[in-house]
Amino acid sequence: MRQVLIFLLTSMQVSLYAQLNLNYVAVPAGVYTVGEKDHLKNPLRKVNMAAFNIAVTELTNADFEKFVHATGYKTDAERLGNAMVFEPGLKEFRWINDSTAYWRYPNGISRGGILDKMNHPVTTISYRDIQAYCSWAKVRLPTFEEWEIASRAGDAAEQYFWGADKTQIVKYANVWHGKDHLKADQSDGFMYTAPVKSFLPNKWGLYDMYGNVFEFCQGGLPSDPKERVIVHARGGSWWCSKNSCNYFNSVDIGNINPRASFSNQGFRVVQLKH
Amino acid sequence: MKYKLLTIALLFCSSLFAQESADYNQKQSKESLAYHEARTKISVPPYGIVKVRAKIAKITSDTENLKLSAKEYLSLSLKEKFTYCMIHAEDYDQNCDPVLPVIDEEKKIMASLENPFPEFAWSERQTAFLNKNRDSVMALVKASVLRSKRMGLNYKLAINEINGWEMIPFIIQTFKADHKDLDLLTLLMKLMINNNYAPFMQSETHRKLYGNEANDRSYIKFNKANEDLMLSRANDFYLKMKKG
Repeated sequence: MRQVLIFLLTSMQVSLYAQLNLNYVAVPAGVYTVGEKDHLKNPLRKVNMAAFNIAVTELTNADFEKFVHATGYKTDAERLGNAMVFEPGLKEFRWINDSTAYWRYPNGISRGGILDKMNHPVTTISYRDIQAYCSWAKVRLPTFEEWEIASRAGDAAEQYFWGADKTQIVKYANVWHGKDHLKADQSDGFMYTAPVKSFLPNKWGLYDMYGNVFEFCQGGLPSDPKERVIVHARGGSWWCSKNSCNYFNSVDIGNINPRASFSNQGFRVVQLKH
Repeated sequence: MKYKLLTIALLFCSSLFAQESADYNQKQSKESLAYHEARTKISVPPYGIVKVRAKIAKITSDTENLKLSAKEYLSLSLKEKFTYCMIHAEDYDQNCDPVLPVIDEEKKIMASLENPFPEFAWSERQTAFLNKNRDSVMALVKASVLRSKRMGLNYKLAINEINGWEMIPFIIQTFKADHKDLDLLTLLMKLMINNNYAPFMQSETHRKLYGNEANDRSYIKFNKANEDLMLSRANDFYLKMKKG
């Protein structure tokens, strides 16, 4: 009986991740330029990169739900009530802890759920939760360099894949356009996350490489502290404005605790090599 | 166990990038590295420090909890709560808060203060405590700075949090002791912004550091002219506030 049950559960898991609708862009092997001159965290350099396949979009709530249904996984935010959420009116860089928030209610129950947002990127998950998802779905996070090559669509341009003109961001990314976060900003149609593919892709067809949600990468940096573990995410988010954060570019790399769950943090996956 | 494995995996990944660390440090001068280290140091208050550290050690040994229980927190005296806030932030901080290291940092007056608690931030109950007890907080900060002859980044953040404009003469006095801690000038600007002080809000310095095209990494050069202008503005602002 036990063996039958295990077989059924395994079959269910296989069929569920077979249903994931992740499309990938194939990035060819080659020598790519990454980083920026005088950027102390991400110096200008050439890297020899093997080919890899990266998801066209950030992972959605619908995709994450399949994982939760298949495994019964409880995220850190659900178990610990430690999610950090945002509402307009907070000072710059100020977030609040909401024990009701988790991926189904990214900014807490009082601020609404995701029932009509299944095509938005999943948020309010920690790096640890993402590792669990990746293990189940047999995918992985991109490295810093893979993420950057993908975001630049292979160009060694300026901070952005289109060049240096910051004003172009409105066409390509869901970001915050207010001067501060005291008042809501929906000038681009979205205050929090937007459905994936709401803005124009880069020339490789990758959407939301900047804005919408910060995307976790795997690996560490030389500047990482020795005494504690931190993880990193890139690309900026719906919260980020040109005056605060300003990380919606191909260069900057953030720091965060691996247990932290924020409503502007998500991820995009890379296929494992077979 | 899973967390230990994650830790090991992350540390392994860090080692893969070790070859880049030389570049990272070589780009900064010795002076700049030393200044960055001094700039990001916190002050450790003496009040109940042994007891508070022991309580924090219990929390931090559990990777799933950042906060003292309500009962334990409430059992701390005012001075012990101050110490707790000054050495432990009990919420997470978002990915993009840390100000990135910059070249020649010791020659720049930055628009923003760094986060004294990397990856962590004060919780609502901690900021509420600081604001509710602002007079005591200012007195405790002052006493501690007079003893140690330096104002840690956590104290600066606390003064900004409680809008402690009354401390401006003391901040200026502390700056003048060695003219090296440029974050004290940043703190003076933050206090003028908190109170919407028109002569500063309409200034060229404000435009460069906090205007429409500025961001939290903006800076101006540290020179005699900028120093004199900033100290004089801050002093005028203080006198205006004092008059009411």
